[in-house]
Formats: sequence, structure tokens, C-alpha cells
Amino acid sequence: MSTQTYKKGSSWAALPWLGPALILIFGFVLWPMVELFLMSFRKVSVSGLIKGWAGLDNYRALLDNSDLAGTLKRTLIWLVVIVFFTMAISLPLAQLMNAKFRGQKFLRYSIIVPWAASLVITATSSKWILDPYYGILNTILIDLRIIKEPIDLLGDPKSAFICLLVVGILVSLPFTSYVLLAGLQSIPQDILEAAKVDGAGHWKGYWAIIFPLLRPAFLVGAVINAVYVFNSFPIIWVMTTGGPGYETDTTTTFAYKIAFRDQDIGQSASLAVGNFLIILVFIMLFLKLSKWKELDQQ
Amino acid sequence: MMKRNIRRISAFAAIGLAASLAATAAPAQAAVVTIKLVMASYTDAMTPYYTDLITRFEAANPGIKVELDVVAWPEIGQKVKTLIASGQSPDIVNNDEFAGEAADGLLYKASEIVSPSTLADIIPAFMTNSEYNGVAYAVPDLASARAFFYNKKILAGAGVKKPPATWAELTAAAKAIKKKYPNVYPLGLPLGVEEAQAEFTVWGGGNGARLYDTKKKKYTINTKAYLDSLLFLKSLVDQKLTQPNPGKTNRTDGAWTLFAKGKVAMVDGGVFLPDWLSKNGGKAIKWGAAPFPHAPGKSDVTLGVQDYFKGYKANGRVVEIRKFLDFLFIADNYQGFLKAAGGFIPATKSAGVKAAKDPIIGPYVALLPKAIFYPGTLGSWAACKSAIITHMGTAMLNPQRSLTAIQKKCDAANRK
Repeated sequence: MSTQTYKKGSSWAALPWLGPALILIFGFVLWPMVELFLMSFRKVSVSGLIKGWAGLDNYRALLDNSDLAGTLKRTLIWLVVIVFFTMAISLPLAQLMNAKFRGQKFLRYSIIVPWAASLVITATSSKWILDPYYGILNTILIDLRIIKEPIDLLGDPKSAFICLLVVGILVSLPFTSYVLLAGLQSIPQDILEAAKVDGAGHWKGYWAIIFPLLRPAFLVGAVINAVYVFNSFPIIWVMTTGGPGYETDTTTTFAYKIAFRDQDIGQSASLAVGNFLIILVFIMLFLKLSKWKELDQQ
Repeated sequence: MMKRNIRRISAFAAIGLAASLAATAAPAQAAVVTIKLVMASYTDAMTPYYTDLITRFEAANPGIKVELDVVAWPEIGQKVKTLIASGQSPDIVNNDEFAGEAADGLLYKASEIVSPSTLADIIPAFMTNSEYNGVAYAVPDLASARAFFYNKKILAGAGVKKPPATWAELTAAAKAIKKKYPNVYPLGLPLGVEEAQAEFTVWGGGNGARLYDTKKKKYTINTKAYLDSLLFLKSLVDQKLTQPNPGKTNRTDGAWTLFAKGKVAMVDGGVFLPDWLSKNGGKAIKWGAAPFPHAPGKSDVTLGVQDYFKGYKANGRVVEIRKFLDFLFIADNYQGFLKAAGGFIPATKSAGVKAAKDPIIGPYVALLPKAIFYPGTLGSWAACKSAIITHMGTAMLNPQRSLTAIQKKCDAANRK
């Protein structure tokens, strides 16, 4: 077998191997994307028929939507608060998982197992825990005589959004803390020992040595988390359907509501295009960061 | 050697591809015509009813096969839309909207999908509600009306002698109930997404408000009459005379469930509520049904809702559609339909005569002249309805803001 055989063979011969991947990429990634862009410029009737081109009408209708501003503001809060707290909690958590002690294995399992549960299940159980009539939280609070009448945390816009944020943070922890744990484990032991010999205490050693070395894992974890949180649909949809009203919607659930409740597919597509562009920025950022990581390792 | 292997495998792949193409190109059997049904699930009894009906229909009509899909209410609208958009149009659908599809030219006329004798038997008022631009495009299947349900035991226990007839009496009764039974919510107010438009329409209606002005061809949502009715409801919510979370409470799994447990004393209920109570743990509740409380100086209304059978043009199966619907409207088969759906008002005159004597449904048949209906004949109603549904979620926090937003969205839908 020499390299010549490859040169002679037609490149079509590779098609059976590349075919499935190409079909997947074109059929399930590129084509729907093109359709989405086209749809945002189309006029679609309430029963789902395409009735020609709409120009920029869908985008205008979206900008004119009185609930857009609030939704954008909430999406930003949703993103910043969840990513910030997830990273802030994951750092010490990863440190703890990396420490050697009895029960370390138990700790690692108890953090990874919730990750295996589907988001819908986590969200559904949270919803039932918070239920005003049958939920365990209200039962406990009433039994302890902390409150007199049941409260419906998901019924009030402010408290509902806070509950969603808390659940959003909880479900993001496993992934992030494991990324950070992997980062911690890649730090060579001798560097830490050298630092100790040089007289660096725990606190100083952490910020001067460990954290800088953890930076690539930290950044990658934060960006992937951001993409994931930004797109997150099940938690909000299952727990509140973005309600009451539109008060707990982010752009993802808002787009769904415009399409299937307001029955305005075109306007929803224009919002989805906006979502797509934002995600694109995150992905660019991610690619750039992974390049830094490669450079760091070189 | 590797080269030969590559060739051989690609040859196999090519043969495989060709074979699968050949398989899909096999000619279809032409003798049997299949019609697709997408029907609303009023109750769990719908599927057994249709299965039996279809078995008998297919036996009587060799050459027609019927494919059945019974779909839950929250999903059916979206399901039909998806089928149409993806080129798999059903032939017959039973749900609560028709005007948008009629406007898009998707539907056969009512006169095409049932025989003249079936059509003549439909109650005329329901037929008028099935018209788009003066032509009927749907055949009503049944209707419902609302009444104000109350728990007789709780009202009597709180010293409320008769069910409240006005807003002032309602507030007084609610306060009396709250005082006597602190653990009971006097009024169940479901402004959640399931059917908030019904509460909005019926409470506003009792203050003289109507959703649409047929003369000016405009939605009339942001009006003082609606604002006052919402402010009245808000006053009940603020005095804790309702359950704590009206904007999130749905009708069935919220307000009615609490009513069935004796935790809510008064609630908006449909003609089908007694049937629902008996099946969902509320059998022991001694209920009464009264007209809705109305605003001072106004008169009481009820909300009439009707659903439809529709025939779709896409597959050109008009003959088969007509055969099936005529079969369904045969007196015995239609009685079975009403029985499976559970306590609704029939849409035909012949069945209506029988229903008027029914102890539970009879009073509603009598209420129908007072009924106001949704503007369901407008192509824009579906979009406007959903604006009401979503914005009722926050209407008890800021009624004016909700009304402004709804008016804007309904106007936009109306202009399209």
C-alpha cells in the first residue's frame, strides 16, 4: 500500500463515508437555518400558510411588540445572574471535589447524578415543591408556623423569576464544576509544592498559582454555560410557561409564545434570527477562547 | 487492495440506495380511499366512541378507510396548524376555530360537507356563528353555556340566603364566607392560560362590555366597561376573597379542582361542570347554578361557546367527508357523540328538543337567548384570543396596562 493509490482514486469514492455527515449538516443544520431566515421575511397566515414576502414587516412588528423590551432585559439578567453565580459556586465546589477526604467519591456522584436527570424532571419537581396547595415547601412553612396562608411563589412575577434563577443555577452547577475539576487535575502537583516551599499560604497560593492556571477551563466553562443558559427553554416553560403574562419570559420562550399562542410565525422567526445572531457571537468567542487554550498549552 | 475495497463498498452503497428508492416508488393501492380525522378530546370517552363509530362506518362504506387522531384541547390547534404547514392536511377536524382557515381558503363550505337535511336540522343561531363573510364554512358540533356555580352548603353556612346577583352582593357574600370559613376561598378566579378569555368575556359582559364592534369593525377591548370589571375583580383579589394566584390558576386543574374539594365556594362553570365534578372527586359537593353577578344597572349574560366540524380541501375527499359527517349526524350516532363529550348543549334541533327536558342541561338551553359569543367568525379572533389569554396573567396587577396591550395586539391582528 503506497500513497499513490489515494491519488489515483476519485474523490467521489469518499462519499459513502462523508455522506451521512454531509446529509446531517445540510439537512439538519444548514437547511433549517436558511428556512428560518426566509421565514422571517415571509408573510404567514394564522393557519400556517405562506402568503408571499413581507419585507421587514415581521421585524417591525417585533420591535413594536410591547413585551419585547421587558423580555430582553430579563434575558440579560437571566444570563448574567446564572452564569455569575454558577461560576462563583462551582469554583469552591470543584476545589472540594478535588480534595482528598473520606466521602469524596460520594460528593462527586451526588453532584453528577442530578446532571443525568432530564431538565423537564428537575423543573417539574421544583414546580410541585413550590405548589401553593399541595407543595412540600408551603406545607413545611405552615407547619412551622412561619406563614399562615399558603404563598404561590410562581404566581407572582418577581418571586417566580427568582425561583427560576435559582433552579437555573442549580442545574448548571454539575457541568461547570466538572469542567473546573478537570482543569484543577491538569495542574501539575510540583508547581503547587514549589509554591508551598516558597512560603505561599493557602489563600495566596490559590489566587497567585491555581486560579491563573485554571483560567482556560474557567473561560470555556463560562462561555459554554452562557450558550446553554441563553437557550434554556425547559426550566422556564415547565415551571411558569413564561407567565404570569410575559413576566418571566426570556427570548427563547417568548419566540415560542409568539409562534404558537399569538400564531405569528413570521414575527417569531425574526426573533429567532436575533437569537441565532447572539448565539453566533458566543460561539465565535468560544472558538477564540479555545485557540487561547491551545496557545497556552504550547 | 484498499482501492478495491473502497470500490466494492461504494458499489454496495449505490445498490442499497437504488433499492431503497425503488421501494418508495412502488405504486400505491388505488381502490381504498383514506380520510384523516383530527378530533378534540372532550373527555376520555371520545376515543372509544370514535373507534366504534368508525368500525360501523367502514362496514357500511367499503372503500373508505378512516384514520383517527383524538387530540387534547391544549395541543389540537397547534397540531392542525403543523399538519397543514407540512402538507399533511387532515380531511376532517373538530375544534374551536374556523375563521382563519376559511379566510385562507382551506375549507369546504358547510353545504358541501353535509347533506341538506343534516344542515336544516342545525340550530340557526349556531349556523350564523359558523359564517365567514356570509358563507358557512363549518358545521357546529355542540355548544356550551356558562353559569355561576356555588357550593350550597358553604353559602348556607355563611348565612348567604341566595346566590349573589350583582357585584355588590358578590362582594358581601364573599366577605361573609371568608369570615365564617377562613380556609375557603370565596371566589375561584381562573385567569390562567387555559381559558382566561372566558372569564374576561363573561365578567366584562356583565358590565355591558363586548369584545368586537361589528359596525365599526373594531375590537373594543380597551374600554371603561372592561376596565371597571377588571378593577372590580382586582378589588376581590386585593381583599383576599379569591385564591391567591388568579393569573396562574387554570380552570380545570385550578379553580374547578378547588371547587371539587370544597376549597372554593363560587366559580364560573360550564354546562359540563357537573359531569366533570362527578368524575373528578367532587361527587359529594352539593352545587347550585345561578346567572352571573352583573354590574349595577346592567343585566346578566352567559357566555356561549360552540365548536365545529370542518372539512379540508387539500386532499379533495369531499364525497367521503360528507358521507362520514352525515353518518355521525344520524340521530343515534349523534346522541352517542354528545354522551361521550359529556353534558354539552346539542347543535341540532332534534337533539335540542330532548336536551331541553334534561334536568341538568335544560336550564342552559333556556339561557341561550342571553348568551354572548366570541367573535369567532373573524379571521383575527384566534390571535386576539391568545393576546387576552396571556395578558390576563398580569391583569390583576395592572388592569390598564393589560387592556392597552391586548387592544394593540388585537388591532394588529385585525389589520392583517
